[in-house]
Amino acid sequence: MITKDMHVMVQGITGKEGSRATKEMLDYGAKVTCGVTPGKGGQEVEGKPVFNTVEEAVKFDSKLEATVCFVPPLFLYGAAKEALDAGIKLIVIISENVPVQDSAKLIEEAKEKGATILGPASVGIIKVGEMKLGSIGSEERMYTKGNVAIVSKSGGMCGETALLLSQNKIGQSICVGIGGDQILGTSFTDMFEILEKDKDTKVIVMYGEIGGQYEEEAAKMIKKMNTPVVAFISGQFAEKVGREVAMGHAGAILEKGSGSAAQKKKVLKNAGVYVANYHDEIVDIVKKLV
Amino acid sequence: MKLKEYRGKELLAKVGIAVPKGVVVGSADEVKQSGVVKAQVVGGKRGKAGLISVAENVEDAKKAVGEILGKEYNKLPISEVLVEDKVEGEELYLSIVYDSVTRGPVIAFIKTGGVDVEEAGEAETLPFSANNGLSEKEAEGFAKKVGLDDGFAKLCLDAVECFRKFDCRILEINPLFKTSKGYIAGDCKITIDDAAVKRVEEFKDVEEADDPTFLSKMELEARKIDEDDHRGVSGKTFVELDGDIAVLASGGGASLTCMDALDEAGGKAANYTEYSGNPPREKVEKLTTLTLSKKGLKGCLVVGGTANFTDIFETLSGFCDGLLAVKPKVDYPIVIRRAGPRDDEAKKMVEEFAKKNGFDIIFYGEETPMTVAVKEIVKKVES
Repeated sequence: MITKDMHVMVQGITGKEGSRATKEMLDYGAKVTCGVTPGKGGQEVEGKPVFNTVEEAVKFDSKLEATVCFVPPLFLYGAAKEALDAGIKLIVIISENVPVQDSAKLIEEAKEKGATILGPASVGIIKVGEMKLGSIGSEERMYTKGNVAIVSKSGGMCGETALLLSQNKIGQSICVGIGGDQILGTSFTDMFEILEKDKDTKVIVMYGEIGGQYEEEAAKMIKKMNTPVVAFISGQFAEKVGREVAMGHAGAILEKGSGSAAQKKKVLKNAGVYVANYHDEIVDIVKKLV
Repeated sequence: MKLKEYRGKELLAKVGIAVPKGVVVGSADEVKQSGVVKAQVVGGKRGKAGLISVAENVEDAKKAVGEILGKEYNKLPISEVLVEDKVEGEELYLSIVYDSVTRGPVIAFIKTGGVDVEEAGEAETLPFSANNGLSEKEAEGFAKKVGLDDGFAKLCLDAVECFRKFDCRILEINPLFKTSKGYIAGDCKITIDDAAVKRVEEFKDVEEADDPTFLSKMELEARKIDEDDHRGVSGKTFVELDGDIAVLASGGGASLTCMDALDEAGGKAANYTEYSGNPPREKVEKLTTLTLSKKGLKGCLVVGGTANFTDIFETLSGFCDGLLAVKPKVDYPIVIRRAGPRDDEAKKMVEEFAKKNGFDIIFYGEETPMTVAVKEIVKKVES
């Protein structure tokens, strides 16, 4: 999905989050070659040129393969559509609060064009020790190189899970925040397909939440996989309180037909997944598997 | 944003879907017709709550409206009642939602609509393109599949138009009456995507009063703390619960994880609230004082994942300020688990503060998993 040599641009590069993440990505080895912010063309961020449109960016660097979007939510659709139309193959959407209709449109279009969308509301992706895209952390105390992959709906819990593993001398291969929205560009299933083939990944840890059917879909796939999966599912308490929209992420709103935490755990257990009841139990389970 | 029935019907009418003739009233005097009388509240089971009745004449309708206006729904007063023509016909069910499996919009149809639709069997479904909507051919094919006519196909096309045009998350018509004169939407539940409300012209004037959730005094105060200062988030979400452990959590996923762990460990939360996104000291101070003002507390948990940019020293200084302001003085145990920028300074500050002012505070940093800290407060409260 991501390689060290991949040329990357940042949309919304002049913003606070965009410029901060650009510096961090460059420091960690990502080949960010340019950025786009409408109306800010001609400026520079971290020594990289800023353009008004994706078209100009692609003219400047014909090898661009990926974009990372830090664009205000109501402008995200336009920005990502521009990237898709310019032939960008990987679109990482960090923006939160993107209207579902916009996500659905973009995902449909990406599929037609053979492109991949990660997010919206993704914290990003890190290939530990090599490169990262997005605002995902990269401090050495948190992310250490090893053989466990983390796929998480929550950005914060992606880092927290990595930290927990690193403190116990368990390193990671790839860590990714897929976002907690109802409609996701990259699901657990999509990531598992990639990780199953990844020679550096021996165990997968997934962090799921109530809402949607992504965990249930993942269970179907896990049955056919060789790589063992450890899962932690949260949101049981929010369900008990029963107040919609009360806690956590947008996708954790219980919408019609979406799975409860108990149901997700059951389906995953039946598929042979090791389910942790407390987050810190993940360590003991993973230790037995690596 | 969930819409009341009549607001939803206004949207349906805009795309050409037939709705019963009626009017929304705020008092019995305004009633000029007979028919179905329905409280306008957000939520289900109105019939079972006695908030829907049928009036054969205008006098009865006035009486019914008067009665409904005196009632409550979900602890909130009822201020609007819809009186509309009674419709007779076959009751069907139609809805449109986004499906996480197809990752796009999908129409669902059930032949036996009405109040007990949840017990009905599997729905017939049809996914359609988010970019192109439903084609006439697809609509006709779907109508044929469920054994209905072209009128139903047209209704599907209109419903899809409504769903896309107004950025709906959920559009549900139940019952959908099949009558000799065509299809009529008897009732509807529409949820507009909160993320898109700003760009939908029709909602510019809709107030937040349509928010269906009853909020307690404490919950409203917490919300005010957040609204008064736009730096970071603190108290935006506050849920009062009936336990004895006060909770100040941070981060979406981490909050969910810790509330689950508290529950799993046998602890009873007195509330749920969250601060994140690097709020200023004063905002955390106010939220702390409010949260700890609750009577009967036996413990307090301040917990969050490892922050990326929230200043742990500043926010925990706010916590200490807030703690000092609580009267009578807090004498129950406090467990903190926070990590991130300036956490070492924060630990030193909190420990000195506790010693100087005589508070029982344990400070854990990133070396201790969040859920271990959660178990610790439960243990301390129980002992």
